[in-house]
Amino acid sequence: MEQYKLFINGEFVDADSGKTFETIDPGTEAPIATVAQAGKADAEEAIAAARKAFDRGDWSGLTPAARAAKVQDFADQIARQGLRLAFTESMNSGQVISLAKFMPLISVTLLRNLSLAAVTKFPWEEEIPASGNAFAPGREFIRREPVGVCVGISPWNYPMYIACWKIAPALLMGNTMVLKPASYTPLTALIVAEAAKAAGIPDGVFNVIAGPGRELGEILCTHPDVDKIAFTGSTEVGREIMRMAAGTIKKVTLELGGKSATIILDDADMELAVEGALFSNFFNQGQVCSSGSRVLVSSKIHDEFLDKIIKRAESIRIGYQMDQTSHMGPLVSKQQLATVERYVKLGKEEGAELITGGKRVEVKGIKGGFYYAPTIFANVNNKMRIAQEEIFGPVLCIIKYDSDEEAIAIANDSVYGLAGGVFSTNTARAERVARGVRTGTIWINNYHIFSDYCPFGGYKQSGVGRELGLESLREYTQIKRIHVSAIADHKSNMTFKIMSDYKKVEGFSYNCPTAVIAGHGALSSIYKAVADLGCRRALILTDSGVNKAGLAQLVKDALVDFCVGIYDSISPDPDLETVDVATAVARELKADCIISVGGGSVIDTAKGVCVTLKNGGKVNDYLNFLVLTEPQTPHIVIPTTAGTGSEVTNMAVLTSKGAGRKLFIVDTRIMPNVAILDPRFTMTLPKDLTVTTAMDAMTHAIEAMMSTLANQICDGLALHAIRLINENLPLVVADGSNEKARLNMQLAATMAGWAFTIAQVGLAHGMAHTIGTLHHVPHGVACGIVLPKVMRYNVDHAADKLALVAQALGTNTAGMKEHDVALAAADAVESLMKKVGHPMRLRDVGVPEENLAICAFHAIADTAVIFNGRPVSDPNEVLQIYRQAY
Amino acid sequence: MGRGWKINPIVKLGPGVSQAIGSFRADKGIQQPIRIALYFSGCCDSSLYLCVVTILETDLTLELDGLTFVINPEIYQVVGEVTISYVDEMGRKGFVLTSSKPVGEWDGCGVSDIKIQPNLYV
Repeated sequence: MEQYKLFINGEFVDADSGKTFETIDPGTEAPIATVAQAGKADAEEAIAAARKAFDRGDWSGLTPAARAAKVQDFADQIARQGLRLAFTESMNSGQVISLAKFMPLISVTLLRNLSLAAVTKFPWEEEIPASGNAFAPGREFIRREPVGVCVGISPWNYPMYIACWKIAPALLMGNTMVLKPASYTPLTALIVAEAAKAAGIPDGVFNVIAGPGRELGEILCTHPDVDKIAFTGSTEVGREIMRMAAGTIKKVTLELGGKSATIILDDADMELAVEGALFSNFFNQGQVCSSGSRVLVSSKIHDEFLDKIIKRAESIRIGYQMDQTSHMGPLVSKQQLATVERYVKLGKEEGAELITGGKRVEVKGIKGGFYYAPTIFANVNNKMRIAQEEIFGPVLCIIKYDSDEEAIAIANDSVYGLAGGVFSTNTARAERVARGVRTGTIWINNYHIFSDYCPFGGYKQSGVGRELGLESLREYTQIKRIHVSAIADHKSNMTFKIMSDYKKVEGFSYNCPTAVIAGHGALSSIYKAVADLGCRRALILTDSGVNKAGLAQLVKDALVDFCVGIYDSISPDPDLETVDVATAVARELKADCIISVGGGSVIDTAKGVCVTLKNGGKVNDYLNFLVLTEPQTPHIVIPTTAGTGSEVTNMAVLTSKGAGRKLFIVDTRIMPNVAILDPRFTMTLPKDLTVTTAMDAMTHAIEAMMSTLANQICDGLALHAIRLINENLPLVVADGSNEKARLNMQLAATMAGWAFTIAQVGLAHGMAHTIGTLHHVPHGVACGIVLPKVMRYNVDHAADKLALVAQALGTNTAGMKEHDVALAAADAVESLMKKVGHPMRLRDVGVPEENLAICAFHAIADTAVIFNGRPVSDPNEVLQIYRQAY
Repeated sequence: MGRGWKINPIVKLGPGVSQAIGSFRADKGIQQPIRIALYFSGCCDSSLYLCVVTILETDLTLELDGLTFVINPEIYQVVGEVTISYVDEMGRKGFVLTSSKPVGEWDGCGVSDIKIQPNLYV
């Protein structure tokens, strides 16, 4: 009789205790080999060898390609042992030789296929282009790294193949392994160990110990040096393994029990359905976790199906497993035979109708063996124990149903969810049924099809995780996220500022790619701009006022034949529906470029359209910060106001009815491609709008300078914007047709936009957003009223910047202290406002005094406040500012 | 193994088993004996467990610590002497059944409570 030893640290060794156990041929009950019986000491030695091998790094540290090459050598060595493996597998497990002869082949193929996948398809590293954290820029990526020491516990029904389900991904991913085969069938795993040694897999990387599951399992599943357990076996043991693994938080993959349904629809090909149900139940004597042991048959075809499957089951040849003519061999053990017999008796007691089988079978010329006839129960109720509990033997239960919905409900009425099948000549119908069944695998017009790249695992109590496919490779790795900060300076780290009194952020990134074309007649450039963007189908978005003024038509004419339409139904303060409707128009017209002609509302709507048109869905999907990773639909802007700066900013402000407030898309990718500043488009802007939009721009500029994110580039832009507004606003108020002054106001708004899109705004905007939302005060008006008050509030935190603002506003600062100059800047803003007729008090624009307190609470939560130069955390301080502005 | 020549099954109880079963019976108001039964616990493993069902004519019975245990004679023939333990440790609470002829290599690994079967069948 052959003797097999344990395989530990690259050597075949006896058990520490010297114990051995016999393993038998279930077809004859004769012993066929003795096997060293591992105990606690052997398990600990195997774990130690695996741990040492992993930490040594000569396997875990190899490149994926180098490991794959070694695994391919391993596969070659298994192939060399193919005949011996097939015979041993058949003799030890009872698999008929016509099945077992394929086991070496499919094991080798699995190792090779997963090797290829590990090298060519597995995402070892993945970039995360948009991190989802707008405050901490940097490169973000993940690496997948091996878990460590993995324990594989394999079952007795497919001893070698299912062992390879665990060996292949574990080794390919850089782990080391201790494999414990089932005690009934330990032999082929130990032959596989010989192949590993012959292939030169480094010592300790792969270890095999045979022995009793309960004793070894407790060590393997609780040892602190084990990092992962992959188990195939019973739900009850799986539950215990999970509990034991919990002590040291090991990762687990569990492939457990099943009570799967084979659903025969009324339009099924009858011969195919019969063969399918037969195969799903009696293949490998029914000792398959995915067996479709509940055969649900439509009442319309039930009787015919029953007649045919009885005849077919009775034609199955049962014989010794090494006989090539045998369809079915023995069950694996006496205990398994007893369990099956018990369930058959139970089925009869429960009232199911035994229509064939239900008895042991004696094979001619053989004394002994655990043979059992293919057994079919009809009139089974799904509540019966034979329909609820896995039998793991050749016992098929037929359950009749009346509708597809009932079949799905019956299939789902199980604690398990491992596999299943649907038989139908209508693939669409079959797939609808398949989708309804809560199970990890479902085959349509087929059964028991396992494929190396297709994951296998269970829903519900059938398991955790997946084996096979890329999913199995993932199961043997853990993810390391790596963040490499874009700026390595504590003074530029916004997050660290939370624990610092110094809130100013020193470093910055300036990325404002919008091309600006400015001047009288700049509109003419649009024809070339569209062509340069590679577009031919531009849709003009505008509002009805601008359209009636003829400005949209001007643009359309300039586009010659590149314009597919004008859409002018964009209202002030656009909401999400406005964007979605405009997007639908753009989709219908197959627009490839958006041209917005209007103020901030039109431009922001257009930004939303560009994103939604590019990415699909609704604009509500994209109300995020810095998550877009590629260029959006091209966007050209022709502003008709001089205030928002939206023609160059990274922000779109849109009203969400669901949220009850304005929400934002903030992303560099929504900055328009081209801004055309043609003063002819602002000439007709009324005086009051000219003033209030200008104060919006002024607030952008001054707040950008006071911001914690202020920087020299933005300061330069902001200061010149302030100068231009101070000089030109009175001119356009006095004479709206002053084209040069109008152009200067446009340039000022654009520069202020560039300044604040990088440096952000602050408390004045937070307060203005609030009274705009709660009391419908126009944004520019609200900004202007609160700005000087906020400048005074910030004076001790931005005196240097405000002093520059004062100078830009023309204040004579000679002989003044910086603090006084800074305060003079606020005075200068108020002087300008009075000069141009801007509202000065909140009471004048309809804000009730009694609501100021609630406004303060809202304002302090506004995103803009985060960047205010002076930290704001007390709503009473904000209330005081509102009162000053009242 | 018909009636008239029944053997006496050997069942051993660990510490705390009688009290745990007694408490269960009192809580549920159950008078019936406790059955030692066999079930297949999924993919490759069978287990013994306890349940409450009506005694059958063919059952082997045993009185122990004031409790009546029953077992199907065919199951007893397969599993042999049964030991019942009670554990309550680190998330593992319930009865553990092992046998002199284990039903599988994980014999005694799982824990179970006492099941009240929806029907009489075991």
